[in-house]
Amino acid sequence: MHSYIRPYQHVAFRLPSEATRIIHLTPNTEVSLGKYGNFPSNQIIGRPFYLTFEILDNPTEENGNRLRIITAAELHAESLITEGSGEADGEGDEPDVSGDAETPMRTNREIIDDASTQKMTLQEIEELKKGSSDAGRDIIAKLLESHSALDQKTAFSLAKYTLRKRRKYMKRFTVLPLDVSLLTNFMLEEKDAGRTMELRDELIGLIGCWGNVHHGGNVSVGPKPNGRYLVVDETGGLIVAAMAERMGILYPHDNEDEESEEESSGKPAEETSPAKERPSQMSASGNTITLLHAHTQPNLSLLKYFGYDQDNPDESHPLFTHLKTVSWMQLVDPSSDPIYGNEPEIIPDETLATYKPNKRGTYYRKRSRWQRVRNVVDEARTGEYDSLLVATLMEPASVLKHAVPLLAGSAQVVVYSPTIEPLTELIDLYSTPRRTTFINARRELIEATQKQNQENNTDDPVDLSELEQEFIVDPSLLLAPTLETARIRPWQVLPGRTHPMMSKRGGADGYVFHGIRTFPTQAKIEAAGNPSRKKRRVETNPVPLPAEDVEMKS
Amino acid sequence: MPSPFLTPGTRSQPDTLALLHLRRDHALPTILRIHDDENLGYKEGKVTTTRFGSYPHSTLLDQPWGTQIVASKVDTGSRGRKPHLKRKAADLENANSNPSSEGEARARPQPQAAVQASSGFCHLLYPTPETWTASLPHRTQVVYTPDYSYILHRLRVRPGGTIIEAGAGSGSFTHAAARAIFNGYPSAETQTPPAKKRRRFGKVCSFEFHAQRVERVREEIHQHGLDDIVRVNHRDVYADGFLLPSEHGTESPKASAIFLDLPAPWLALKHLTRNPPDGQQSPLDPSSPVYICTFSPCLEQVQRTISVLRQQGWLNIEMVEVNHHRIEARRERYGLESEGIRGATVFPKSVDEAISKMRSVDERARKFREAEAAGLDPAATLEQPSQQQQQSSKSQAQAAQAQLHSQLQSSIPAYSQGRLVHRSEQDLKTHTSYLLFAVLPRDWTEDDEAKCRERWPSHKVDSEVGVQKSKKQMKREAREQREQQRGEQKEG
Repeated sequence: MHSYIRPYQHVAFRLPSEATRIIHLTPNTEVSLGKYGNFPSNQIIGRPFYLTFEILDNPTEENGNRLRIITAAELHAESLITEGSGEADGEGDEPDVSGDAETPMRTNREIIDDASTQKMTLQEIEELKKGSSDAGRDIIAKLLESHSALDQKTAFSLAKYTLRKRRKYMKRFTVLPLDVSLLTNFMLEEKDAGRTMELRDELIGLIGCWGNVHHGGNVSVGPKPNGRYLVVDETGGLIVAAMAERMGILYPHDNEDEESEEESSGKPAEETSPAKERPSQMSASGNTITLLHAHTQPNLSLLKYFGYDQDNPDESHPLFTHLKTVSWMQLVDPSSDPIYGNEPEIIPDETLATYKPNKRGTYYRKRSRWQRVRNVVDEARTGEYDSLLVATLMEPASVLKHAVPLLAGSAQVVVYSPTIEPLTELIDLYSTPRRTTFINARRELIEATQKQNQENNTDDPVDLSELEQEFIVDPSLLLAPTLETARIRPWQVLPGRTHPMMSKRGGADGYVFHGIRTFPTQAKIEAAGNPSRKKRRVETNPVPLPAEDVEMKS
Repeated sequence: MPSPFLTPGTRSQPDTLALLHLRRDHALPTILRIHDDENLGYKEGKVTTTRFGSYPHSTLLDQPWGTQIVASKVDTGSRGRKPHLKRKAADLENANSNPSSEGEARARPQPQAAVQASSGFCHLLYPTPETWTASLPHRTQVVYTPDYSYILHRLRVRPGGTIIEAGAGSGSFTHAAARAIFNGYPSAETQTPPAKKRRRFGKVCSFEFHAQRVERVREEIHQHGLDDIVRVNHRDVYADGFLLPSEHGTESPKASAIFLDLPAPWLALKHLTRNPPDGQQSPLDPSSPVYICTFSPCLEQVQRTISVLRQQGWLNIEMVEVNHHRIEARRERYGLESEGIRGATVFPKSVDEAISKMRSVDERARKFREAEAAGLDPAATLEQPSQQQQQSSKSQAQAAQAQLHSQLQSSIPAYSQGRLVHRSEQDLKTHTSYLLFAVLPRDWTEDDEAKCRERWPSHKVDSEVGVQKSKKQMKREAREQREQQRGEQKEG
């Protein structure tokens, strides 16, 4: 887990302005936080996460340490004081209802709304900033001092004013571990939300749960390996990262205790020497993610924050073996794929021995690449995946058409969309009347073909192409298609000032569609329960009505 | 025994939990067994009966998960009369005196083969925490999927972690947490030769003070094959804290995440510190930050909890509520021609349709009055509108148009007629509880800091690397430089 700040990792800095900055931490370098100051990276490496540091301007200590850890008590000081005084809580002392209290309640009645209350000029503040020491605290003190109407402010408005100034001038930062939750919020609030399809943190949790994504475990039940997930991810790798986090294959140092870490660092030579034993790329059988992508190369750029560069993957990263990528063309029509379809000729060892080393290297590389693509694509086409997660810019139905048949029974299908329309259309494609019509039409087709085959003594296969034109997806393969959305509402929880936050980000709400993959029986079945309700005059209506599934409508 | 929640395999196995999915939000959990332990007297062995047919377990076993199962004909009427009290007693005696497998075989006759019924079906599914949450027997208020998915995500509950759950309640959160921390069955590992690196297996430490509920949760956990992963404790955590009983007295669960679903979470917080005042072990993981979430329905509870959290040095205190709703999407049909179609509203779908309808009604009324005035039977006159219609070319055109319209409509299949609309489902949960999150960093002492400074010398900065600049900063600097150059050019 994230037990301490490791070197050569991305970490996040939460600044007094509530902004987040993500920085790759290299030892022996200087880290710059813009106007909040600089400090050497070595002064935070090895320290625990979630600590708040203050950048000191005049390092007093002999060894040049420029950071001071702020204790929790100091961070909460103000809240604890207001709480203790009972002024804020309204719990401590009874509110004065008599009206003739000694100290009248302070209100904003006397406050004049203009900027003249601050006596310091901009220039003075700028100068103060340059010559400032004490991590910005003196600036704030001066600002408060020279505010002419400070004594008129209520306790709460004073607190608000101080907080605003503090955000601007305090030289503090908090170091946070970079995980999926933080990255999601960062992309949404501070970066380009469109790149991650405006995916929100609460929906990542929901998608992961409905997708039943979890670690594959250490026992094998039945012939197939556990925990194989299929994903279509056009959020730059955010969904893949969220899945990998749930499967325990996102963080290279996960599950490493400090003791074992020290042990291994003591004798690193042993670990690296048997290089040949390293499993090859995409070779894991269980606990894997298979990514279907539209272009020749998948876009997994966000995985760089977790130490995995798709162009130059680190062999020791768990995703190196557990993340498999297959393009739609390789999946649907593998023979036209340039790598899959063209097996490099096998060159006998004798001929190979005559080659120059770099030509030999090229040969082996081509061979292993072909082998890898072959294995991965064949595995994907065999299917039996444990669930399907989709966040795509394409038509969802076209994705489900090809991907749902690759799922094992009872597997979950989850589709995310920032807007609702693609998903209501999807719900409609799996609606009960459509399913009923499809099942009946297919049965008729099969029966007609069988009859024809009997008469002509032939063995023609059933031609379902016409049916597939009308029905893009087979509506009988998904059970209980459901559409839902969740959104969190954050609250301010300062003592005596509890209320929902006044504003938050608008934009896409984000919706989740989910259903369960099933195997319908081919036998003709009727739903139980009271059969069709009172039949109305339907003769006038030429359209066939749904005959079954009346009661068991989902 | 592997759990069907975590490693279901491909087919249904005996003695594991399965769900019979009848319709949405209606699934029956059942333990699959050929023989009936409760001896309800079915000829087919163990049978699950539902509103939508009866399912002998012989038809459910060894089926691929997700299969649609057809109901069977099961005699449910006569079984009540069958087992005579006397014989039952004899059976019991028999079983007691012959505990061998032979005796059991005799006591349990081979169940009869099931006969397919004419109607009714269900889907056989393996359980997931989500489907289980939707179908579990309620004991207390349930933590539903939108809440627990967010909680587990925010608490950073990941494979190999340890989570404390206080207030096990109905067990929905327990199952979801077990899935989140699962990274293997510890008992399976001991069978294989121990690996070089000792892996930490994830576990859930569940506490509940209601004795009866504890028993029920234990039983469930056992039936679901989660004994390895979930430790259920009967404990009042306010008074007795979170340490686990072990051979040497007590041991720390070393939890990195805590979920408190208690009426007064602030009373439990005193046990959740790095250095408990009474000198006991800390139940927290000393080598990682600890995340906490409390789940309280009332604001007052939250305020008291926050106050205590602050006093005990928890950081990043945040409170949220989760608004969740399900949406139904369906087709809505309007129009006068949609009479007789289920779910359609018979109402003109446009102004034109409204006017033409009004015209035809007026026309009818006029004819009715005319016929009445002429002393004819008005009903009989109206019976032959076709004749009258032929007289007027205008109404003929109208009829043709109506026919064309109905033809156009009929070429569109019923399932894609009308407009696709969506709305929130009928029952909304507008408030579940307030979720309060906080984090407690690792303890950091002067010694730790000194050691760290030794390993990573504070002063050391490689000069050639220089200051790490953010992209934004570099862009800004480049822009400033450009502007400067431009300014110089202008001057020059």
